[in-house]
Amino acid sequence: MRVTVKMGGDLLKGEDINTALIEDLKALTKEHGIVLVHGGGDLVTEMAKRLGKEQVFVMSPEGFKSRYTDRETAEIYAMVMAGHINTKIVGTLQSFGINVMGLSGFDGGLIRAERKQRLVVVDKQGQKRAIEGGYTGRITSVNSDLLEVLLKQGITPVISPLAMGLQYEPLNVDGDRTTAAVAKAIKADAIIYLTDVEGVLLDGKVVPKMGALEVEGLLEKIGPGMSTKIHAAVDAIKGGVGKAIITSGFTENPLRNALEGRCGTVVSL
Amino acid sequence: MKLKCPECDGDIETKEVIEGEILNCNDCGAELEVTKSKKGTFELKVAESEGEDWGE
Repeated sequence: MRVTVKMGGDLLKGEDINTALIEDLKALTKEHGIVLVHGGGDLVTEMAKRLGKEQVFVMSPEGFKSRYTDRETAEIYAMVMAGHINTKIVGTLQSFGINVMGLSGFDGGLIRAERKQRLVVVDKQGQKRAIEGGYTGRITSVNSDLLEVLLKQGITPVISPLAMGLQYEPLNVDGDRTTAAVAKAIKADAIIYLTDVEGVLLDGKVVPKMGALEVEGLLEKIGPGMSTKIHAAVDAIKGGVGKAIITSGFTENPLRNALEGRCGTVVSL
Repeated sequence: MKLKCPECDGDIETKEVIEGEILNCNDCGAELEVTKSKKGTFELKVAESEGEDWGE
């Protein structure tokens, strides 16, 4: 079985990563081909602040708050994502005896993306305005051959959501979307989105199942962070991935329980 | 100020505009971005609306 796992930024904020999750991952890598993708946007913001580069956030007309990635921010983003966060995860997993390799979208041309030309944002007066797209991108390709080579060697790739643009520039790409693109490229059987909540919550309760074609009506009742995951999950499923599970990464055996349907929200056709 | 919708050619009456502002055409509903031509006059083009995933 091929499984793509997204490790959300909330799992990476403390000194250590949840040991139960690492042990679970270690066991699964012996049975399945696993590809990890990580997040960490909050850590980028924190580091940028320490470097004296206050981050600017913009609001989309749909109500999504996003970082505005100018050139300098893109460089900090690359430094933190592919440097600090990726090496921390790789080092931790290696210390548990998991054979992992850290990669960004630049390595082997793993993730290519096109820069977004214009973004429509809502300004402080509540007016819609078009601004330069900055250094964010839409993923156009994933080098699945590279991932296949690693997986066949029993190596678990750990990917940071940093894409290489058409001009070989660093581009900030969404981690959930990156996970979906990687899953489609390796024809994954499942995606597991590990986050800090038990699944998609509606009226305080976990929704156990969601049909990929029925999510539209639910999206406005769900928070923005979760909506992006659901959009990405639906995209992956429409692209041939078997199912996507959204679950907490802070529990015992979160991956195995997710794959065996014992926790989280399962999005499928 | 009177501008032309590039989609339906309809007239759009507006007060002052600034570059980058987004207007809606009342006739066809198109979302339009205010741009400045080389001559310094304001024009409209269809806004390229991007999805919500603007990265991490």
